Amino acid sequence: MYRYDEFDAAFVNARAAQFRDQVNRRIAGEINEDQFRPLRLMNGLYLQLHAYMFRIAVPYGTLRSKQLRKLAYIARTYDRGYGHFTTRTNIQFNWPKLSDIPDMIDHLAEVEMHAIQTSGNCIRNTTTDQFAGAAADEIIDPRPVAEIIRQWSSLHPEFSFLPRKFKIALTGAPSDRAAIKFHDIGLRAARNGAGEIGWEVWVGGGLGRTPMIAKLINAYVSNTDLLAYLESILRVYNRYGRRDNKYKARIKILVHEEGLETIKGQVEAEFAEIRGGVLTLPQVELDRISAYFADPAFATLPATKIDIAREKILDPAYGRWLENNLNAHRVPGYASVTISLKPIGKPPGDATAAQMDAVADIAEKYSFDELRVTHEQNLVLPHVAITDLRTVYDALVEAKLEAGNVGEITDIICCPGMDFCSLATARSIPIAEELSRKFSSPQRQKEIGDLKIKISGCINACGHHHVGHIGILGVEKKGGELYQITVGGDATENAAVGKILGPGFEAEDVPNAVERLVDAYIARRESVDEPFIAAFRRLGDKPFKEALYGNE
Amino acid sequence: MEILTGNELVSGATVYLDRNGAWVEDLQQVRLFSANETAARDEAIARTKATLRILSLEIENVTVRDGKIVPDRLRERIRATGSTTPVFDRQHLTEDDHVSI
Repeated sequence: MYRYDEFDAAFVNARAAQFRDQVNRRIAGEINEDQFRPLRLMNGLYLQLHAYMFRIAVPYGTLRSKQLRKLAYIARTYDRGYGHFTTRTNIQFNWPKLSDIPDMIDHLAEVEMHAIQTSGNCIRNTTTDQFAGAAADEIIDPRPVAEIIRQWSSLHPEFSFLPRKFKIALTGAPSDRAAIKFHDIGLRAARNGAGEIGWEVWVGGGLGRTPMIAKLINAYVSNTDLLAYLESILRVYNRYGRRDNKYKARIKILVHEEGLETIKGQVEAEFAEIRGGVLTLPQVELDRISAYFADPAFATLPATKIDIAREKILDPAYGRWLENNLNAHRVPGYASVTISLKPIGKPPGDATAAQMDAVADIAEKYSFDELRVTHEQNLVLPHVAITDLRTVYDALVEAKLEAGNVGEITDIICCPGMDFCSLATARSIPIAEELSRKFSSPQRQKEIGDLKIKISGCINACGHHHVGHIGILGVEKKGGELYQITVGGDATENAAVGKILGPGFEAEDVPNAVERLVDAYIARRESVDEPFIAAFRRLGDKPFKEALYGNE
Repeated sequence: MEILTGNELVSGATVYLDRNGAWVEDLQQVRLFSANETAARDEAIARTKATLRILSLEIENVTVRDGKIVPDRLRERIRATGSTTPVFDRQHLTEDDHVSI
């Protein structure tokens, strides 16, 4: 994993000292809130409904054990003993006090973490595949390039005041687990005619009030030219992106209004100017960064087939966990383990300080000290020896983190909603909890199969509802909460935006409405191997609309 | 009826302007402004802003039901009681966080 160099450490420490001074001056009344607000937002500090919310960056979702232990310490010492993992693979604390923030930042700096650029109209945390460097289907490990993008985008002097926030995601595998087509820029590893590995560049994707699927702006950009090409896109966006209306300020609107060919022409013109200049990425530098992500000392193990059927007979819960929570590893004898943060009836994405400590211990002992945060609000142990799986599972049971529901209907993405968020127009966590309880039976979840529910408490879509196979959007209507249901969204390489099939539902009617959709799918699927999303694509809206609203 | 609400600077706690000009946690102690008290309300807003200690200062509509003050908006009812799930007590002021106008 990447380690701070002298420059990184000096930069983060200087920023920590600077913000401490700004907080002190704010509390002393030397600066007012209008002056302080942009400063605190640059350091990830929001004000929400009940208190401040402090958002800490987890670069490309990668953590070491001591970093997670530090987050546990912060949760226990300065917050209320838990943290909330987000769809940007960051972590949020919901109850800090302003006067404690400088000390929290100092603690973070001790473990090479910070909260810079977790808010504001700048380039946010770059995200990637949670199985990067481990997945069997990977063309290339995207983490070195993600780290290079982090360095390029941190406090970039031109891009600290963009028209709006800007999000980049990349994947080194053909299976898109990073939702790259719903980012301002998405990168996917690709080969050119000579077989060299570079990047497909997608631009103008996003969710929010105007969901759009990114468009392919360049089928191949080499590593050497990647930063210059990204800089060219950002320059075009910074120059022409709308600043008159925040709801039309994302690059997706610029691409949509101007057209891809126009934007491409502008980007190419800019690229022609700066290509070969200071942003050229020499192979030696890529190699230097890649060395930080070298393989851990994997043992030479035989390829081991796990007899899940047998394990399910011996211990159904363990068998289910093996069936759902493992991902194939590129090294024989190893697997990646997803730790579900979706226990039945609990808020998605939350972990207590004790659980964070427990996961840190497990990662240290059984995953070469490495952890990942997923955009689906779970954690991952990327490199676990198959022979250690039972021990890891038992340790997760002890930490109450043994839910074997990854990829199933109760593995729900959900934003904090109106229970915490000042922008929300409806609650989302209670809906997630009710759905989780309704479908809690492992047999029922198995029967349903792969089905992703995503819930947002407002149109900003932090819960990614547009790309849920079933999406739920909470809105305010006549002083109450109403929930629109969409069907058919998909965040993967088969990107699709879900469709609203009719009027919204009261909160208490949402679980039954979802069950009707599920039953309609089960009744019409060709076989148990046809997932919900495939059945929806084959069947179209009609049966699902009928399931929700009858034959009106 | 209207009330004034905001968040205290250091704790971030939800607070209300009470009848004595203090910013307090208890919604039921709040000062109610009737439709013909806009001048008093606006003066209270100006004096509050001058303290630099109350953020997200808002005018909210409330209704008095059975002697209880109830915010009209669900969002405000959640602010007044704390998160509904997971259930957490509201943030509280510490000794140094009290603000008056």
